This record gives sequence, structure tokens and C-alpha cells, in this order.
Amino acid sequence: MARFYEYQGKELLNKMGIPIPKGRLATSPKEAREIAEEFKRPVVLKAQVLSGGRGKAGGIKYATTPEEVEKVARELLDMKIRRMPVKKILAEERLLIQKEFYLGATTDPSSRRPILILSQNGGIDIEEMARTSPAKIIKQQVNILRGLREYEARDFVRKTKGLSGDQIIALGSILKNLYDLYRKYDCKLVEINPLILTREGRFIAGDARIDIDDDAIFRHPELGLASTEETGERPPTKIEIAAGKIDEGDYRGTAHIVQLDPEGSYAKEKGKVPIAFDCVGTGTSLTTMDELVELGYFPMNFADTSGNPTASKLYRATKIILSQPGIKGYLFVSCVSSQQLDNTARGIIKALKELYPRTCGKPNIPMVFTFRGGWDEEAISLFEDHGISQSPWVKILGRDATEKDSAQAFDFLYQEWKKATGGIKN
Amino acid sequence: MAKEGLLEFEVFSGGKVIIDISKCGDCMSKACIQICNLPTMGRVLELKNGRPSLKKDLKEIKKGGCTECLGCELECELRGMKAIQIILPTPELDEYLKEIETKGMRPVYKVSGRSR
Repeated sequence: MARFYEYQGKELLNKMGIPIPKGRLATSPKEAREIAEEFKRPVVLKAQVLSGGRGKAGGIKYATTPEEVEKVARELLDMKIRRMPVKKILAEERLLIQKEFYLGATTDPSSRRPILILSQNGGIDIEEMARTSPAKIIKQQVNILRGLREYEARDFVRKTKGLSGDQIIALGSILKNLYDLYRKYDCKLVEINPLILTREGRFIAGDARIDIDDDAIFRHPELGLASTEETGERPPTKIEIAAGKIDEGDYRGTAHIVQLDPEGSYAKEKGKVPIAFDCVGTGTSLTTMDELVELGYFPMNFADTSGNPTASKLYRATKIILSQPGIKGYLFVSCVSSQQLDNTARGIIKALKELYPRTCGKPNIPMVFTFRGGWDEEAISLFEDHGISQSPWVKILGRDATEKDSAQAFDFLYQEWKKATGGIKN
Repeated sequence: MAKEGLLEFEVFSGGKVIIDISKCGDCMSKACIQICNLPTMGRVLELKNGRPSLKKDLKEIKKGGCTECLGCELECELRGMKAIQIILPTPELDEYLKEIETKGMRPVYKVSGRSR
């Protein structure tokens, strides 16, 4: 799911005719100060991160004078929220709040229809409110073929109490535009929380969360999003963007690659040995990762190259996975799959030969390959024929090996390699 | 046919196969033809006048007619004349590698002296 920063989300809201506060992006304290000087009024400074819980983590601060803005901006830009450094802040005019609403459009999995969600108690965790006070939330399904009509949007918002006629019209119009945005950009979720009713009686989007369906990204080149795997609360890395290109438009099998510790800081902090990793099948991937972590290793990436991918996919995936800096080993494990493992092997072999031309594919770090499933014997033979199995740092296992065996074989090989070579500094 | 003596065709994922057919006359194994015509492979190549030739038209091959098994290149390397090169670009990775190089970092396969 591709997620936008708040400032990007607000740009989209604005394009769809939903009012947003006056604001600009700053990447330095000086820039934030200049914005405050231009606005000539108190501002709110908001750290631009993809993670939730930003307010609780101290990522939203208020400042009155330009000097104060500069000081607060410096504090924010020095912060890390859920391990992610704050690189950008949004400086906005401070709104005088009369009331806060929640407004959202998402897909209801049970009815398989779009659903609109509205609450007069905005600004708080909507999931928590749905659990503790469900009566405070109103919902309405939308017929996706008919869409949402202006009068239907007004009828829906009328269910909230205490709004004037003008406010019902304004809120109905915002809801209609929000639904149109949800449809236009193939969103999984569009959320304004809080939607602020100002003391002057205007509705303005105080925040914006827009999540776009990964599978629809190719339909929106105008958004400039990369087709990558879900990377949660951080933007995709260059490695992940490169990996995303493998599957983009090629339906023949999959190559899902996500970095788990892009900066290597977690493995270092926990004293684990960083290694690269690829599996056929997510179940095998997770099980093998568990075994490796038990033995003191940390897979720097998750990978699943399954669904009978082409050898060219494996070639590209292997090159990308082995390009992660700092890795001290590599493990490939297939589940007992029906995919053509000889093709898988060819992709890996071509990558190894290209990456290690001097040694004809024999690596300088320990590598274990476990081939189980269709054409597994051919895959093993190919490694022998191309001379890669003959490397002292390569171990090939077959269909009798379990995930645990693979991890233990890797551990044994790693210890041998470390003893013989003293390891590697990279 | 792109250049004299070369058989070239593009593949679906972006990239191309280049066969230097000037070397193929002396090849005893014709390993590329054998592997390409196995039941699970793309069956793109055939032997004509002792050299590889295309069985399908270029459009069909680019649409996925070639299954990108890489068998022709690897078999030719093992049992043939090393006449086949498959180029599969990874521009985003190349860009990333250039970037980390400027930061003094390098991937493990560029660290020399430990391979055996």
C-alpha cells in the first residue's frame, strides 16, 4: 500500500476542492522561520513522517513568533519518530478550533463496497472509538456503480446533530469530494482526522491520510509513486524501488523484497550477523528467518520469489539482494514447491557469475542453497555443472533438508568461513 | 537480425538476447537449441543451416514467447562456443550502486581477496 506524507495528501485534497490550511513545507529551521515571517501569525509545525502516533511522540508543536518557530523547527528536525528521522516539517497557520470531526472513505471487506465514515469526535484514534463508543460513529455504504450523489452526501452528514444548514451543505460537499478522490486514485483509505470546524464556521482538513492500492499504482503515473512492497512507516529504499521494478508489469511469478534493517542499525545494536536472504514461499521465508535469528543471524531483507518466476526475475532479484551493504552471508531456501527450480537456479547462477567474474561465480561469503520441489535435482546439478558447488563457501541441500537444517548448515559454514578467512569487512 | 553475424531479440521483461552466430558453425553440441526445445521451455530457437534461428516472430517473442529461462546462455557457456549473451538491465540498481559508491560503501561482491 503506497502511503503519502501529510503534505502530499493535503495537496491531493486541495486538488479535489477540499479546503486545507495555508501552509508550506520546510526542510530547515531557517526556512520554517521565513514561512512564519510571511504568514505573520502563530503556526503549527508538523513532522512529516509516515508513522502513526506522531502527536503522542511530540511530532506536532505550536509556535508564535518567528524566533520560536526556528527553535521548534530545529528540535523537530533533530527528532526520530519510531526510528525514522524527521527530514521535513509542514508549517501551517494555526486554526482556531470550534469542533473536530473524523471523515473517511475506505473499502468495507464484509460488504465489498466503499464505506463512508463520519464522527463528531474527531482528532482521536478512530479504531479505539469504534471499540469503546461505536454509537459516535456513523457509516454508510456506497454503490460503487452509481457513485455518491451530492444529495446523498448531504443526507448522510445530516445524521450528525447540531449542524446548521450551511454547514450541512459544506460538509456534504467535502464528503462528496473525498469519495471522488477515493475512487479517482484507487485508494484503500482516505481519511481526514481531524476535519476542523473553525470558530469562523469553516471546515478545513487538519490532517490527511491517503493510502493507494499497490496494484493500482501503475494507473497513476502522475503521482510519481514507485511500485514497491509495503514498507510500513518509512518510505521505500532505493533497493526496494529497484526490486519493485522486477514485478512491475511482469506477471510471471513474483519477487517480493523488503529491507528489514536498511541502515543496518538494528543488527548492529542487537549484535546479530547481518545476512541476505531469499526464499520460495512466504511460510518458508518466515520459518527460516526464525531459525536464523535463533542462531544469531539477522536477515537484512525479507524475500519471496515464488509462483514460478522466470529465471530473469531470479537473476535480477539475486543481484539486488546481494547488493545490500554489510552482509556476511546468503541463504536461499525453497519450500516444497511446484515451481521450476532449474529456472530459479539458472537465474541465481547467472547473477553469481556476473557478480563474481574472477571466480566464475564462487562467492566470498558463505552461501547455502536448499532446493526442494519441482526440478530440484536439475537445479542442484546446474550448480555442480557450473562449478559453484565446488566452492568451500557454498553448501547445496536437497529435498530432505528442513528449514532448520538449512539454517544450521549456514551456521556451520559461516563459522568455518570466519575461522578460515577472519571474516570480511564491508 | 540486427548486425551481420548477430541474432538479436528482445524479451518481455526488458532486455535482449544476442547470439553471435558466426561462432555457431564450429559448435558440436548445439546446446542452445536442445535446451530451448525442452517441453517446459519457450521453444524459440531452431537450427537452420547449422546455426540458431528464430522459430517465432520478434513480436511474439517480446510478448513472452521467450520464457527467459536463460538456458541458452548458460548451456552455450558450458557446452558451446560462449556465443550467447543475455542482457537484462537493472537501471535502478545501477543508480543505487553509484550512489553508495560516492559514500564510500560497496556491496560484498566488490570486496576482493576472500573468494576461493
